[in-house]
Amino acid sequence: MNARNAALVPSFQRPLSKVFIRRAANYEQELASLIYESLLEFKLPMKDKTVLLKPNLVGLDPLGVMNTHPAVVAAAREAFFRLGASQVLIGDGPAMDRDTEAVIESVRLREFAGPLARTFVDLNVDDMERVPLKTHASRLKELYLPKTALGVDFLVSMPKLKTHHWAGVTLSLKNMFGIVPGSCYGWPKNVLHWAGIDRAILDINAVARPDFAIVDGIIGMEGNGPIQGTPKACGVLVLGDDPVAVDATCCRVMGLIPQQVKYLARAGTLLGHVEASKIQQLGERIEGVKAPFAVLPEFRQLVA
Amino acid sequence: MGTGNSNLADQRVSDRMGTQTEVQFVKSVCLPLLRSTQNPDGGWGFHPGSESRLEPTCWALQALLQWSWPEIPEAAVHGFQFVREAQLRNGAWPSARAEQVGCWVTALACWVLLAEKNSSNAVAMGLDWLCKDWPQDSTLWRRFLARFSSQRHIFPINNSYRGWGWTPGTSSWVEPTAFALLAFGECPAELLPPTAARRRKLAEAMLRDRMCPGGGWNCGNPLVYGVAGEPLIIPTAWALLALRNQPERRENVLSLEWLEKNVANIQGPGSFALARLCLESYSRKWPDDAPGLRSFHQKNEFLNNIQVAAWSCLALSAKRPFLPVGLPSGKTS
Repeated sequence: MNARNAALVPSFQRPLSKVFIRRAANYEQELASLIYESLLEFKLPMKDKTVLLKPNLVGLDPLGVMNTHPAVVAAAREAFFRLGASQVLIGDGPAMDRDTEAVIESVRLREFAGPLARTFVDLNVDDMERVPLKTHASRLKELYLPKTALGVDFLVSMPKLKTHHWAGVTLSLKNMFGIVPGSCYGWPKNVLHWAGIDRAILDINAVARPDFAIVDGIIGMEGNGPIQGTPKACGVLVLGDDPVAVDATCCRVMGLIPQQVKYLARAGTLLGHVEASKIQQLGERIEGVKAPFAVLPEFRQLVA
Repeated sequence: MGTGNSNLADQRVSDRMGTQTEVQFVKSVCLPLLRSTQNPDGGWGFHPGSESRLEPTCWALQALLQWSWPEIPEAAVHGFQFVREAQLRNGAWPSARAEQVGCWVTALACWVLLAEKNSSNAVAMGLDWLCKDWPQDSTLWRRFLARFSSQRHIFPINNSYRGWGWTPGTSSWVEPTAFALLAFGECPAELLPPTAARRRKLAEAMLRDRMCPGGGWNCGNPLVYGVAGEPLIIPTAWALLALRNQPERRENVLSLEWLEKNVANIQGPGSFALARLCLESYSRKWPDDAPGLRSFHQKNEFLNNIQVAAWSCLALSAKRPFLPVGLPSGKTS
């Protein structure tokens, strides 16, 4: 049974979560080995498994800071193959531009990950399955979600480390908005905004909880993210098998208080751990990599 | 189907002799893909072998009709049946048959069924649903509340203009508004609901209001936090086609200029096909240095997307232009 079929487990019943912070100065360095070595710490049973890497592909990105960098995606793909996965797909459903191929070409994904015709899944136009929601945090009763995202053995959320002008931050949980199919809900997926972004994040992650998260924080985005913000060099990759704990750790790296991020505070009761005392930190210490991110005035309460 | 404006069509084909390679590509790759991927239920999925969906079915039908005009091929007859059977009792269409809620594909379904003489009632019901489907962001109550919102500076748009949303009960966006305008614009007057004229006027105003500052459209956010939104090819093409009856207006001229400037930078075949369709409709010259469909196909095989193949067929239809500017209705003269 994968995480998407599992019952929700209250956080007080969950064991400690592990989050690995790795320094990575730039996208030119050898990232596949770095990610592979990090994954070994988690003892993931990947032999003959089908993996879906879900990067954050927002749209055309002239500065190269809006989307998960293709070097990180390609490196993760290679690392999961080294762990024994039989198939490693890449998939996303960009929210603003329905020309997904234009988006993946503009971010040079093919250049880094090779031919994409049989590797990339456009989640906006995948076959869909009706999924009753478990948390009912929002007023949505059900969502139609892509069969590929629901059916793979192992789902990996791969966001960019960014601020977000509605949600405060966009990390591995918010990144899951991208699995909601535009062919059903449109570009942007406005029904989620009307349902309440914070609440919809919970609903989606409760039925399609990522099995793992790898956050591209080598260069993030601060200020008016997720599209019009400013590049922020941070020099880290953050990895873990609890997306809530990964996001909480990322907030701390960004100099933000995770409990002040509405959806993260609520996710911390049911989907994973937010409290630092429940997270086993591996690799770099947070204080050693902390890089305070600028936020919009509406989110100044997030700043630690 | 109308008889077409054959002189104009012949002239256009003649103007496009330089694009024969592209036409040949469509004939050898895109059309066979459409013809070979129709599902037994009459519909098309987004990919070969995937379940039938309304949107790719509508575009595949438009493409086949365009290329077989004035004949209606057997595949289209079967496809019409799929579309008719997918209509909900309230007149709307859902994006997939399992869904019970109608959405923006209603406009596409109405538009394509105009080509089928037995579907007038279905079309009238669909258009009636569209006229009754008001977006929720611009109700009087919402507009009143917005005056006091601390975030009213974030999206400085005129909420008194109203188009259509992707799904009921949400906000107006550029593409679903353009699709509805195209459906209304193609429809004979006797099928139009009484409120259609008002909805069209409001929707056209909404599209112009949402244009990005330098021309072109994105999904519908021209300014966010005081920063100009970047236009995108696909919403720009659809908005220009929806507003093509007033080609001299400032918004059309600016946006056409933006589109022409950006053709060389297009990176996806869907954007390529719709940009070409739009510029052809406005009788603009297609740049000689623009990339070709074949080169896009060599990169990622269109990600096996049937809808992109259908758009390519529409952009390079050999027999007549799709949605020409300057005729009272796009298809009949």
